[in-house]
Amino acid sequence: MVKFYREQLENGLQLIIYPDYSTPMVALDVCYHVGAKNESPERTGFAHLFEHLMFGGTKNIPNYDDALQQAGGENNAYTTNDLTNYYLTVPKENLEIGFWLESDRMLELDFSQEKLDIQKNVVIEEFKQRNLNQPYGDVWPLLRELAYKVHPYQWQTIGKDISHIEDASLQEVEDFFYRFYAPDNAALILSGNVDREECLHLANKWFGSIPSRNVKKAAIPLEPEQANFREMTVERDVPDTALYMAFHMAGRTQREYYICDLISDVLSNGNSSRMYQRLIKEQKLFIELDAYLSGDHDPGLFIVSGKLAKGVTIEQAKKAVWTELENMQQELVPTIELEKVKNKLEANLVYSQMNYLHMAQELANFENIDRAERINEQIDIYRSVASADLMITAQKIFSESNCSQLNYLAKK
Amino acid sequence: MIDRTIQPTIYETKKPIIIKPVSSQLNNDIPVHFLQAGTQEVTRLEFIFEAGLWNEDKPLQAVLTNAMLQEGSANYSGAQIAEIFDFRGAYIQFVADHHLGTISLISLNKHLPYLLPIVEDLIKRPSFDANEFETLAKRRKQRFLLENEKVKVLCQKKFSEVLFGKSHPYSHTVSADDFDRLTCSDLADFYQRSYHAENCQIMASGNMDVSLLKLLNKHFGDLNWRGVKQLQQKRTIQQLQEKQLRVVKNDAIQSAIRVGRLMVKKDHPDYIGLQVLNTVLGGYFSSRLMMNIREEKGYTYGIGSSVMSLNEAGYFVIATETDKKYVEATVTEIFLELKKLREELIPEAELSRVCQYLLGEFVRDFDGPFAQAQSFRAVNDFGLGYEFYEQYYQLLRAIKPEDLQLLAQKYFDEDDFYTVIAGA
Repeated sequence: MVKFYREQLENGLQLIIYPDYSTPMVALDVCYHVGAKNESPERTGFAHLFEHLMFGGTKNIPNYDDALQQAGGENNAYTTNDLTNYYLTVPKENLEIGFWLESDRMLELDFSQEKLDIQKNVVIEEFKQRNLNQPYGDVWPLLRELAYKVHPYQWQTIGKDISHIEDASLQEVEDFFYRFYAPDNAALILSGNVDREECLHLANKWFGSIPSRNVKKAAIPLEPEQANFREMTVERDVPDTALYMAFHMAGRTQREYYICDLISDVLSNGNSSRMYQRLIKEQKLFIELDAYLSGDHDPGLFIVSGKLAKGVTIEQAKKAVWTELENMQQELVPTIELEKVKNKLEANLVYSQMNYLHMAQELANFENIDRAERINEQIDIYRSVASADLMITAQKIFSESNCSQLNYLAKK
Repeated sequence: MIDRTIQPTIYETKKPIIIKPVSSQLNNDIPVHFLQAGTQEVTRLEFIFEAGLWNEDKPLQAVLTNAMLQEGSANYSGAQIAEIFDFRGAYIQFVADHHLGTISLISLNKHLPYLLPIVEDLIKRPSFDANEFETLAKRRKQRFLLENEKVKVLCQKKFSEVLFGKSHPYSHTVSADDFDRLTCSDLADFYQRSYHAENCQIMASGNMDVSLLKLLNKHFGDLNWRGVKQLQQKRTIQQLQEKQLRVVKNDAIQSAIRVGRLMVKKDHPDYIGLQVLNTVLGGYFSSRLMMNIREEKGYTYGIGSSVMSLNEAGYFVIATETDKKYVEATVTEIFLELKKLREELIPEAELSRVCQYLLGEFVRDFDGPFAQAQSFRAVNDFGLGYEFYEQYYQLLRAIKPEDLQLLAQKYFDEDDFYTVIAGA
């Protein structure tokens, strides 16, 4: 049981406090409920661009990092398709510095054309480093565009097209900030060596006066059910041919999500998993093979991806994966095998509680889905899943018409 | 209304609480270090052998011998080993580096009595099955070829070759053919020499169970498990004369850059000061290199520098990746920053910020049982003691801009630096 407290400020800011006195540190995490899925299709990559701009200073605090480093602090941020998360850690004595810094960024950034131009350039270099200059760097944009026709999950956080970043104007950037960066669209999570009363007091002092911005988000279009098998083949200068298969599945609030998670664990979590033992070790068809969930909050993807052993064709590889998927549809997973993957999930829960920062991020993630309290409901849901559930869900999602397949061929 | 321009008081970060391990021995004299800390009922065990690249007589021997330990032993097949660890929700890892071959295990305390018999078997009685080895070598080779597509990997390889010479164990001179040349009997030879009680240490950390020593003795304290202690061979460093090198990788959009030189080892009196100097230059997010080359010029997504300590040598490296059109300008700026450190005093405010930041990092280095154990090994593996940390703490609070300028003049001489660029 993860014991935490929830408070709410008058301006709508949600406060979540998770004390862990085994550390001398505290983490202060601000989760803004805006991700790449909230962007307009003509202006993608903004949520992530903001992650960069947020370190450019405010009118009251021109240099964010200076004060934080003086306080022995560290910080970072990440953007997903669902959220943008900013976090810092400081020795507990300097908790208030964290409140001061983060509240001022929420109040108002100090925008300038010069700062924007530089961060645009940094993001463009990041795009090159991650997407263009890496072998397999364009897999995710290709697979997303194949699997999604309507839902904004079709683009990556860095953006659909880098020209969207190149063309971003200062006015657009400011509008994006006031549209989404607001107390009523955020959660503040404190974890580590923290006191509930002190946190509430500091939150009121620093965040209490930030006006609510009545954030209204446009409804996100639902991805219609896929009707036909989709396949795309590309050839690239990479050492190994790779196969990617994506199946649509339920979102984070559905029981089906947890069932899918267990299916993916049976298939590929750990060296004893089915795909590792059979397709990598015994049949030697793949050198790497994984089954996992995209983890998106709206309905997302169940993905099987692997790199083929030399001499193996896409057809052979595809057939072998389907044999495993069909096996899940036709035969009940033995109780002991299901117990194994559940044991692992339970042990992971204990391990993760050894890290206060990780806990803050987990709480932020669940709060973004809908409520942090979900963190304590996970294990019961996993425990309640039976082998029959796995079979029924496998029958539902593993169909050719629900599959998007990317064949990524190594140039000879 | 609060005045947001007034910064809340900053308190100096307190010295961390350092928990020292209790050191003991098994019946056969294997040293065991118990670091008791934390609140969750979890233990991490590291079985550390002198079985690194330093002791190889053929390339890949250390890494593949270590990796093969999980592929089957006298009483368990590779599949069974995997099954048992997964069933208990435990993680076992196999790592070989320059000097050590390590098997580490993270598990809930309650599962250890069921897991240690398997750990014992895979360490003491590996089977080195030829079939398993073929599969493993094939997969590792494919991974190796993939890594070799990356400019940063090509650059780092050339850089270490330049610093240490092709035949030195600190340079990464593995070729794809080495994967085909190595045989099971090469592994068995290396295993016989390296993996035995005389070459072993155990590190235990976490909120451990009191019965752990007894359990370790049962599985690893056996008097019959012996061998001959490895002697550290002498290896000579042969630096290259040429100071500027290029590795050509056609079609690369970005180029990787490494600029650096050999430097002192961890036991040298200048070492700690150099850590501070390095932080100013490129060791944290607001470093001079980041501010200049990323935040002002936008040439790169990231640039950093580090002082690396290995047992037998130390080196200093600045690393980045940038579009090829910015390569020349980036290298020029790097050398300008080095020059600035030689010629100008670091402003007091900047130095104070860096030292405060490092104090915070210092506390993080001792936060939690695994970090505490890591910090113990960070001195113990180098033959140093906890007085290193006392000196580190004292120096962070006392070091002056003048001290750092002297270090910069001594160690940041342009003529000593190598520049390696990999890209189109």
